[in-house]
Amino acid sequence: MIPTTTNSSGLTRRGFAVGAGAAGLLATAAGDFARAQGGPLKVGVLLPRSGAQAGIGQDCQRGVELAPAIFKELGLPELAIMNADTETNVEVARARAEKLISDGAQLLVGAFDSGQTTAIAQVAEQKGIPFVINIAAAPQITEQGYKFVFRNFPTAAMILSDAFANQKELFEATGVAPKSVVFMHVNDTFGTSMQQGINAVLPRFSMPYQIVEQIAYDPTARDLSVEVAKAKATGAQALLLVSRLNDAILITRELVKQRWSPMAVLSMGPGWYEDQYLKTLGKLSDGPMSFVPWYDPHKRLSKQLEAALAKAYPGINMNTNHVFTFEALLVAADAYKRARSSDPKALADAIRTTNITDNVSIGPGIQFNDKGQNDKLKNAAIQNRGGKLLTIAPKEASNAKPELPMSAYDRRG
Amino acid sequence: MIARMLDGVPGRGLAVLAGLLAVLLAAPWVANDYVLTVLIIVLYSAYTGQAWNVMMGFAGQLSLGHAIYVGLGGYAAAALYVHFGVAPWLGLVAAVAIAAACGAVIGFLAFRFGVGGVYFAILTIAFAEFARIGFDHFRWVGASSGFFLPVANYTRNDLWNLRGDPTMFYYVMLALTVAAFAICHVLLKSRIGYYWQAIREDEVAARSLGIDTFRYKMYAIVLSAGMTAVAGVFFAFYYNNLFPEQVFHISRSIEMILGPIIGGIGTLFGPLVGALLLTGLSEAMQELLTALRLDVPGAKQVFYGLCLLVVVMALPGGVWPWVAGKLGLTGPRS
Repeated sequence: MIPTTTNSSGLTRRGFAVGAGAAGLLATAAGDFARAQGGPLKVGVLLPRSGAQAGIGQDCQRGVELAPAIFKELGLPELAIMNADTETNVEVARARAEKLISDGAQLLVGAFDSGQTTAIAQVAEQKGIPFVINIAAAPQITEQGYKFVFRNFPTAAMILSDAFANQKELFEATGVAPKSVVFMHVNDTFGTSMQQGINAVLPRFSMPYQIVEQIAYDPTARDLSVEVAKAKATGAQALLLVSRLNDAILITRELVKQRWSPMAVLSMGPGWYEDQYLKTLGKLSDGPMSFVPWYDPHKRLSKQLEAALAKAYPGINMNTNHVFTFEALLVAADAYKRARSSDPKALADAIRTTNITDNVSIGPGIQFNDKGQNDKLKNAAIQNRGGKLLTIAPKEASNAKPELPMSAYDRRG
Repeated sequence: MIARMLDGVPGRGLAVLAGLLAVLLAAPWVANDYVLTVLIIVLYSAYTGQAWNVMMGFAGQLSLGHAIYVGLGGYAAAALYVHFGVAPWLGLVAAVAIAAACGAVIGFLAFRFGVGGVYFAILTIAFAEFARIGFDHFRWVGASSGFFLPVANYTRNDLWNLRGDPTMFYYVMLALTVAAFAICHVLLKSRIGYYWQAIREDEVAARSLGIDTFRYKMYAIVLSAGMTAVAGVFFAFYYNNLFPEQVFHISRSIEMILGPIIGGIGTLFGPLVGALLLTGLSEAMQELLTALRLDVPGAKQVFYGLCLLVVVMALPGGVWPWVAGKLGLTGPRS
């Protein structure tokens, strides 16, 4: 028999264990009682608001700022937002997730980047705290068999497939299609990943065009005159691009300088629809088409969110970052309302049965499959026109007819 | 062996060491998972800093591309695990071998052809960049889309496959850090350590004394690369995803060297003190800003940078030599 140690106060190890157990039970009961009070749901929002992805993280944050007022109008329960900056770093993302949970977060939202999102997902899963991903496209995240991780954002494969489907729809609708394109892309992680994906997916869609040349370039390049001259020399009718903001501006300026107006500029990434692009180039920004996860301008909630954004941040066009961060919080508030509890397991169960049709993004609404992925999301084709971003495909979500071929740069006054 | 390790360590130093180890061993009982996660980052930084210190602190060879060994180690063990089911401890052998071989190639090219100083530093950056770009196109390990290790909600810790909760990873990292500390301590007190220090202080003089500087610099880079690869394996299995942009990036190399620089280059405690200070300062800044309700992105980095500036200006030799001197623990190169 192992003797139990007794200290001077007379407290035995067994007595201590019983006491600690009782205290634990009391603490648990107190927690349940507090949850039953129906206070605001504590939502930890993890975004890269500093570091390399700071601009995007701060843009996503706008979606967070807009949510409370709209949720109130929708009759959704209040959320207590706990912000955390991941600093565009996987280690920090994981540590911040742990901190938020230890500070009482009952649900997590984030984190824009697939690497950071994966690190957070593990913590959420281990702790049994629901995690709603706002933006992250790596398919593997929802292929791990997680029970507490949900994603209302298309995977990379969904984005690419929809992009080509939307292009075909546009070509059929206008009766105009390029026969040849030059594929220009940045040579960073995102650019090479997209390039490989496009080359893999393209043959399945029997597109009307051939890629006559592929040109990779550095996203930090200060001069892209050679690349654009090379593209022009191929005689291709259109440009297919995967770019960032600065290089999108540089390429446009070179197109103007070199007097080349392609039939279409088809962008499969950021840059060409960003506010800075529109503001910097004015009339020259009109025409490019971008194929992106987007919002349905006809939906009631889209109009509400757009109005709120225009009021809070005048001059900023609504975009993917605002939409999907807002929707992640919408999922959280809706689940809290239906679960009537902030118990993480009850919340996760409620999220699993989500069926939000009054939403913002394109598609029938927000539902999750058994892997926690919203596989019903649809992407859009948008076109810059007069400093605005108009949705031109898919047809059911469009609010403008496509302008194809786009107007020549030398005829814009 | 133990006697050799403790040789020359003053009694007060031993007491501090024992106390520190006891605190670190007991930490999981009192710390929550957040604190444990921060401690894992501290130990990880201390370990990688120690590995880098072998190159720069002991042998005087400035490497600014050590991220290459983290990446190679991580990718090697992760790929063996995902594609062939090889346990990480076995994968570690391959990871260390690959990183050490890579280090040997870099070292051979540099040391055989007299590339030294800042030019050697540039060469190491170049190799890390080659690796980053190469892995961006290496489809077998996910290329630029990232390489993901399978994860699940484990009900028990599986040390053999490195699958489990933060406490398990904490003890693994603590063991690695203690082992690295012990190895470096023994090496510094051995002939190889003295040769390295001679090369660091004056390579020409060391050569004229008959030291085969090429060979001993090669030993340093191979050992440092191998040790760093072990950290890569830990990184891969702890975070469960690897992106070339993330693991091979120069910022990771810089993170690795900041600890020893702040703590004290060439000292045994420098990397640990530096890691503790940098991570602690970072977290303290975060807490302070939260308490002040200053939710301004980037504010932490500004204050953090200012604090580091003060430390570097006030203590250019690093924090540990100053602390050790104040506490009367040992000489400045302990």
